[in-house]
Amino acid sequence: MKPDSRLLAGLALIVGLLFLSPVLYSVFMSFQTVDGYYTGNFEFTLENYELAIGQYNFARYLLNSIVVSGSVTVIALTVSTMAAFAFARFRFPGGNLLFAAVVATLMIPSHISLIPNYLTLARVGLLDTYAGLILPAISNGFAAFFLRQYIRGIPVALDEAAYMDGATPLKVLWRVIVPIARPAIFSMGLFIFITEWNNYIWPLVAVGDEDLYTLQIGLARLYRVNPSEDVVNWPLVMAASTITILPVLLGFIFVERHLVRGITMGAVK
Amino acid sequence: MLSRLTPYFLVLPLISFIAVFTYIPIASSLNLSFREWDFLSPTMPLVGVENYRLLFSSHEFWNSLKVTAIFALVSVPIRLGLALLVASYLVREVLPSRILRGALFLPSVTSTVSIAVVFSWLFATDYGMINAFLQTLGLGKVPWLQDPQLALGVLIIVNTWKQLGYDIVIYIAGLQAIPQELYDAAAVDGGRKGRVFRRVTVPLVMPTTYFLLVVSVIEAFQVFTVVDIMTKGGPAGATDMLVNMLYRIGFTLFDIGQGSALAVVLFALLTALALFKARVLGRRVHYEA
Repeated sequence: MKPDSRLLAGLALIVGLLFLSPVLYSVFMSFQTVDGYYTGNFEFTLENYELAIGQYNFARYLLNSIVVSGSVTVIALTVSTMAAFAFARFRFPGGNLLFAAVVATLMIPSHISLIPNYLTLARVGLLDTYAGLILPAISNGFAAFFLRQYIRGIPVALDEAAYMDGATPLKVLWRVIVPIARPAIFSMGLFIFITEWNNYIWPLVAVGDEDLYTLQIGLARLYRVNPSEDVVNWPLVMAASTITILPVLLGFIFVERHLVRGITMGAVK
Repeated sequence: MLSRLTPYFLVLPLISFIAVFTYIPIASSLNLSFREWDFLSPTMPLVGVENYRLLFSSHEFWNSLKVTAIFALVSVPIRLGLALLVASYLVREVLPSRILRGALFLPSVTSTVSIAVVFSWLFATDYGMINAFLQTLGLGKVPWLQDPQLALGVLIIVNTWKQLGYDIVIYIAGLQAIPQELYDAAAVDGGRKGRVFRRVTVPLVMPTTYFLLVVSVIEAFQVFTVVDIMTKGGPAGATDMLVNMLYRIGFTLFDIGQGSALAVVLFALLTALALFKARVLGRRVHYEA
């Protein structure tokens, strides 16, 4: 590497860290004692994390977030891959109409369904359950649309060879299409997981039971219970905030490229 | 024949989810918007267009519409302008631009609640970092989130900070699709940098701009989380967005009819916008291969 490109890389890193400094500082603050924070002396402590996990139940919220985001990702990828395969490989009466209905969900604001979905889940007794948090989030056509574009790029000859060997459509999907489309499916999975992880308004509406709070709701409540801003226990709030962003933050470095591909391929197509 | 049913079997699960949680709710919102209901009473009588009449005659609605429109009209051009400028510098696949891209992109995948909490601290009147900085310069404390004039500006800053990296990533993909020959030709003609940017880059990246324009305006009209955490729509309604109003009417006042009417209006507004994109702008954009 040339020296001046190393210099540029260093400069880029500094500018990047400066841009991210509010978040980085909040992580730093989470390791500070409250007294230290208000007096301006740094004292390292883990007590904010102990407090957040012990007294404020953030271990439970973390588990809930993992269960909900994980389930949404697995179910959404399964139903979307199946549908994408059908839309990419079969011509069937009503197929175009159904595909249009799937794509249109990208343009439909989710808030139109906020009240009705609440009523639907209340009617079947699924408010305050994991299922109530998970099911409405599957109703999104983005992954199916994106994967259909990808599958259309896979040579049909591969399918035909497998059919010749007597494979069923499901076998072709599972043995031929899925292995080739794995990078695209992986990108989509990340995208779905992160979107669901950060989801706020739906869990806010669908859950009242504290044991089912996701991290987003838990953090919002913890911040809210502080009576006014001058007596906020900021280091505690920042510890909770760090727990909330940590999984995405840690994973980000490894998966950024996949994530960017997921986002741009959907957009530029 | 079983094989003729195969595609239907494959699409059935996704279509069922979409039907139950997206399409039927649109119809049921429409239905509920003509009724009066509070979640509890055994009947929900039809009241005609009463909910819409009340909505359109309330100061609250026009205020929210105005605030949301200002938020969208100010933040979207700032975001897109800034993003295109930055993207044009970071378009090459070299280490420095990859590092900076990564840093700028990170907030767009980070929890909005966390970001809103962090920026609430940053802009806090007492003990906030920005006011602390102003005080070291000998300036007074600014009540960022308590001042009706400033609060909306702060929300626009936070939203721009969070979404900028997304816009940049999309723009970079768009810029990389522009054939290098066009830049070479411009260079041969002796075009200066600013001129090439205006005459070559901006027009050729137009399809991406239209895409981002529509996506970000739609998203701006649905902003909720950052407002709910940082200002709850206050002070005095100065940051009360349409979705915050929808949440308040539906889930704290339990006025289902009125809330549904607002949801339908929001839906109609955004659908009109999406159609405008498809019909009018779609025809003017033909740079794609």
